[in-house]
Amino acid sequence: MGSEADLRPIIEARAVGKRFGSFQALRDVSATFHEGQVTAIVGPSGSGKSTFLRTLNRLEAHDSGEIVIDGIVLGDDIRNLNAIRREVGMVFQSFNLFSHLTVLRNLTLAPMRVRRMAKAAAEEKAMNLLERVGLKTQASKYPVQLSGGQQQRVAIARALAMDPKVLLFDEPTSALDPEMVNEVLAVMRELAYSGITMLVVTHEMGFAREVADRVIFFDEGVILEDTTPEGFFSNPGHERAKSFLSQVRHGF
Amino acid sequence: MNWTRLYPGWAMFAAMIGLLLFLWGMALPLAALPAPIGPAAEQFADGARITVGLTLIAGSAGVVIGVLAGLGKLSHFGPLRWFCDGYVWLIRGTPLLLQILFVWLALPTIMPEGVELSDFTCAAIALSLNVGAYNTECVRAGILAVPHGQVEAARALGLTPLQTFIDVILPQSMRVALPALANNLASLVKDSSLAYAISVVELTMVGYRVQAESYQPIPVFVTIAAIYLILTTAFTTLTAALEAQLDVGQKR
Ligand SMILES: Nc1ncnc2c1ncn2[C@@H]1O[C@H](COP(=O)(O)OP(=O)(O)OP(=O)(O)O)[C@@H](O)[C@H]1O
Ligand SMILES: [Mg+2]
Repeated sequence: MGSEADLRPIIEARAVGKRFGSFQALRDVSATFHEGQVTAIVGPSGSGKSTFLRTLNRLEAHDSGEIVIDGIVLGDDIRNLNAIRREVGMVFQSFNLFSHLTVLRNLTLAPMRVRRMAKAAAEEKAMNLLERVGLKTQASKYPVQLSGGQQQRVAIARALAMDPKVLLFDEPTSALDPEMVNEVLAVMRELAYSGITMLVVTHEMGFAREVADRVIFFDEGVILEDTTPEGFFSNPGHERAKSFLSQVRHGF
Repeated sequence: MNWTRLYPGWAMFAAMIGLLLFLWGMALPLAALPAPIGPAAEQFADGARITVGLTLIAGSAGVVIGVLAGLGKLSHFGPLRWFCDGYVWLIRGTPLLLQILFVWLALPTIMPEGVELSDFTCAAIALSLNVGAYNTECVRAGILAVPHGQVEAARALGLTPLQTFIDVILPQSMRVALPALANNLASLVKDSSLAYAISVVELTMVGYRVQAESYQPIPVFVTIAAIYLILTTAFTTLTAALEAQLDVGQKR
């Protein structure tokens, strides 16, 4: 996927800190993510992976350091925030599809409200996206009528409907029954090869190894390793990463 | 337009209004009945119209008040929260009859010079405030029942807080709150009879007058009761249908 030097940085986190009460969830986290890069974020439970991801679209407000998304500084300015949220899509562990809307309306709501797209255009786009994730025939169903794997694919299509430059995934397959994991990973794999920038918090080491360009290992609110998949899986530098990997391997 | 399918809740609401209008005119066939009912048919019709009118006006205003005060109770702004808490506490802790008398007797003394409030207006104001307080609790519970993930998904897609409220929180909370709101509306049909105390000529007052002229309380009050029963049965039937309709997207 080319060297980092000729790719444009799209997310820059500089010494980002976040505390919940007296608990320091993130300490001086710095990382730059480039256009088209697919980054797997791994680490033990409670290490701050979700918190980091959520600071990037300000579902959590960081309390120190600086985050710059596509040249816009993330802060309290509401216009900046809206601009950033338009460019950064998010896929949640529990899908969070709008339960009162059909699949089609789930996909058209934000483009119509936020991008002011006409209904017909938004629906045409939504149908194309549903076809892409293999769910064209489910457009008029409600989320509860779908399986978990189908719901997560709809959620991915919903995020794509806004044409985001970056997609954040927070453990997109963790809530799924094992037989549904692959259909979601297949969609994500296809997305990764299409060139969209992705940050994926995941416990799927196979996916990280095969699809990611980069692996970031979080532990106790800091980035302990930031390297290539080969580097991380065959030759982790820290004891914590080694024991994490051996636990994950034995767990599967 | 498949409006009915997209918004079953609002379609039911429209049906309810239609039924009320129908009942409103239906008091006329009473003219065919023997004395003391037949000769007083117009009075019964007028009384039913006033009752339905009071119910509709106070019912609609009560929903608006309920939504606003329900939101106010969840506000982060202390004084607003206290104001709404105080309002609900005051209304629910005092008799409706007292509230009606208060609006009728006390409000004119604090109104600016030249503003005349009719008896009907006073009754409508008191009933609106009363049902609004009960609605507030339903709306608040409905809003609290919306999973936080729904709000996060909307915000992550770039919807503004207002859009998130109108497109996601309100419809989902109404799905929870509507049955209880419809119940409050059905109670309002009966509660509106207390307006007779401030000489509003609604259904109960008509019954009182007609029996006083004819000295035949039994047929008169049986007729009045029958009209109330038709009105309340219509409401409860619609409420049940509404609940069934609203299960769309709720269960598998
Ligand atoms: N809203 C919150 N309030 C208080 N503490 C929080 C909150 N969110 C997260 N934390 C704490 O911050 C720490 C990091 O949480 P985070 O969710 O980022 O971990 P994670 O790496 O995503 O873990 P997991 O793999 O279990 O999802 C945890 O100890 C968690 O308890
Ligand atoms: Mg997490």
